[in-house]
Amino acid sequence: MISELTRATLESLYMIFASGLLSILLGMPLGIILYTCAGSKRLASVYRVMDVSVNIFRSVPFIILILLLIPVTRRVTGTIIGPNAAIFNLTVAAVPFFGRLTENALNTLPRGVSDSAQAMGVTYRQFVFMVLVPETLPDHILNASVLLINLVTYTAIAGAVGAGGLGQLAINYGYYRFQWNVVLYSVIILVLISQGIQLLGTSLSRMLRK
Amino acid sequence: MSLLEVKNLCVSFSAKGKEFAVLDNVELSVEQGSIMGIAGVSGAGKTTLLRTLNLLQRPASGKIAFDGVDIMSVSQEELRVLRRRIGVIFQSYNLFRNKTVARNIAFPVIIEGVNKKKALEKAREIAEELELIHRLGSYPSQLSGGEQQRVSIARALITNPRMILLDEPTSALDPFLTSRILRLVKRVNSVHGVTVIIVTHDMSVIKRVCDQIAYLEKGKMVFCGPTHDYFSEYYLSVSHDDHAAEQLEKAKKILAENGGNKLVRLVFWGEAAGEPILWKCSKGLDVSVNILYGEIEEFKHGPFGTLLVATCGKDSAEFLRRLSGNVYKMEVLT
Ligand SMILES: Nc1ncnc2c1ncn2[C@@H]1O[C@H](COP(=O)(O)OP(=O)(O)OP(=O)(O)O)[C@@H](O)[C@H]1O
Ligand SMILES: [Mg+2]
Repeated sequence: MISELTRATLESLYMIFASGLLSILLGMPLGIILYTCAGSKRLASVYRVMDVSVNIFRSVPFIILILLLIPVTRRVTGTIIGPNAAIFNLTVAAVPFFGRLTENALNTLPRGVSDSAQAMGVTYRQFVFMVLVPETLPDHILNASVLLINLVTYTAIAGAVGAGGLGQLAINYGYYRFQWNVVLYSVIILVLISQGIQLLGTSLSRMLRK
Repeated sequence: MSLLEVKNLCVSFSAKGKEFAVLDNVELSVEQGSIMGIAGVSGAGKTTLLRTLNLLQRPASGKIAFDGVDIMSVSQEELRVLRRRIGVIFQSYNLFRNKTVARNIAFPVIIEGVNKKKALEKAREIAEELELIHRLGSYPSQLSGGEQQRVSIARALITNPRMILLDEPTSALDPFLTSRILRLVKRVNSVHGVTVIIVTHDMSVIKRVCDQIAYLEKGKMVFCGPTHDYFSEYYLSVSHDDHAAEQLEKAKKILAENGGNKLVRLVFWGEAAGEPILWKCSKGLDVSVNILYGEIEEFKHGPFGTLLVATCGKDSAEFLRRLSGNVYKMEVLT
């Protein structure tokens, strides 16, 4: 049983961090695009479309999203079960979420700071990479930890439909065979993972906040 | 030669679907190498005007020419280059919180592509001049207000700009720091020939450093010209200066009580402010002069004095005739 727990834990960690990484890599630019469109008169209509799309994606319950995505998942990953299929599902759900978190964090940049950068004659690229993101970095770190903790939960949900990992282990042993100790161990490990992420995120963000 | 030329500038904001004008047909001309003060009460549109000058705020209509270039018709790229020649010091400093003082100061040259080491070296030099050298490794949140302000000044000066725009640079400072900042502004202006536009509601700042003043009232430019002209013509004769109005009321009362036939306001400017003009002009005349109020202040270009006098005697008219040829401005009030 210990070996099974270890395997499931590793599987969970793989799903969480792989989908987390992908979601950050895709969600961050999405957030920057949202921020840029919101601040530009010319792109106001683009913003409205993106804003609504993000909201739609975020309001579909994850388990239903997985069902809706089945044909796409199969095309992209070649299967609908196992960690890789789950990573695809998780990423699709998390990108709009992280995009919104990023947009909110970017909005905390004071208008005056952005003005002073413009007044110095920054290019758009310099503004994004040398002012906008670095100035809000501690918030992005916190966002990343929120994202990863959400992914812990969502990974467990994905376990119910064959993703593998601790979620599936708990359901197989607890729901079908009433072996509550396995459920308990799974829960403890999940809690530890969440705590670890939160602790890391909070202290890193605090260190970066000046 | 004028460095900045603003014509028919109108700026409006929309609130609840309604447009309201904040700047109404503003005209402004700033000479190369001069210090221009923009004054007016709170909400008059001073900050808006300043923001419009480098197009942080787009005007509804009008023309802005900087160094002969119509900045409203240039491309984004050209506008960026132009902005790099105009340093801005904002009312609220707006430093980068997550960058050290050194990085804050160096930032404008780093974005120009100067290599980091050189940029930081240059930042060091300026920091030395502004007595910030011991603060280079600190973050803005660890600085006092005055230090933050000096960082923002250093940041504006590092690119050797043609012009700097300062928004209320002294509003948060004590008199000592105010003097220091004003001295610095004057030095930057006289040594490096940087043209300065300084927004303030503090008239003493205008008197001490400005060659020219532009006075805004509810978005309209009601005066634009030399500082001493403003104070002799406009400022003294309008009701918004409570101090002057109060002095006038008092003088009128004294005049009514003691008798006397003329109440005269005199303005001295420059060297004449030091001469015994009243004595000179009244020599040999049957006139008595009663000084009701007097003040002399040190302006940027020399002393500036005002006198409120009452005269009586049969030679009053001759006295006033002589006087008018000897003072900068004379106004017979009664
Ligand atoms: N972004 C904005 N949107 C709407 N109204 C604005 C905006 N910025 C300024 N205003 C309005 O424009 C007017 C002029 O504002 P401005 O900040 O230029 O005044 P000011 O002369 O700088 O005042 P203060 O001395 O208080 O700084 C004010 O009535 C203000 O409410
Ligand atoms: Mg203002």
